[in-house]
Amino acid sequence: MSEKVRFWILIALLLASIALLVISNRINGQVLVG
Amino acid sequence: MKHLRFVNTLLLVAIILVNGYILLIPLFPALTYWWDSRNNAVAVLEQKIVKPTTTKTVNNQPDGLVIPSMLLDEPIYTGSSAKTLRKGLWVRPTGSTPDQGGNTVIAGHRFTYADPRGSLYHLDKVRVGDPIGLYWQGKKYAYTVREVKVVKATDISIEAPTKDNRLTIYTCTPLWLPKDRLAIIAEEAS
Repeated sequence: MSEKVRFWILIALLLASIALLVISNRINGQVLVG
Repeated sequence: MKHLRFVNTLLLVAIILVNGYILLIPLFPALTYWWDSRNNAVAVLEQKIVKPTTTKTVNNQPDGLVIPSMLLDEPIYTGSSAKTLRKGLWVRPTGSTPDQGGNTVIAGHRFTYADPRGSLYHLDKVRVGDPIGLYWQGKKYAYTVREVKVVKATDISIEAPTKDNRLTIYTCTPLWLPKDRLAIIAEEAS
């Protein structure tokens, strides 16, 4: 695998990780009932 | 090519750090709880509920909630908006207040990545019979936990008015997938 392809895969993984962090924070931020 | 290889290494490290944070940071409060509980902190907070007994000291006490069994000693906040939760423990405007009697309801975050040590992270450590102290407008109210239960997030019955004087405290559960609410119901000690 070329370094260029690896670069784009890593960028995608990093963005996905950050998205997971943001989504997790939103889910855990809910506390209200009703 | 050598430059790109270095960038890729940095990206890999960043990915490991972000995912490590996601996985490990929810466990951080458990670690601090274990550490704090080694230092007799529960007994110190239990003393705080029993004392102060003088009116003067109580008057100097800001509004706050003390639950020794979960090492909680934090101020409480009133407000009509859910943004109050960002400050900490929120006395729900739909509930009553200790001086009026009925059902006083306090909600708080269990865990958020922005603030891992949510006020009610350790609410699951509270058991039936545990003492709770509530400081409200210069007076100290004592409660004893009567019930610990998990309800659906849509179950608003825990906030319903009651004839007896009680304190209802709830937060999200389970920790990683908070689809339900963990609630403790405490009756005012006579």
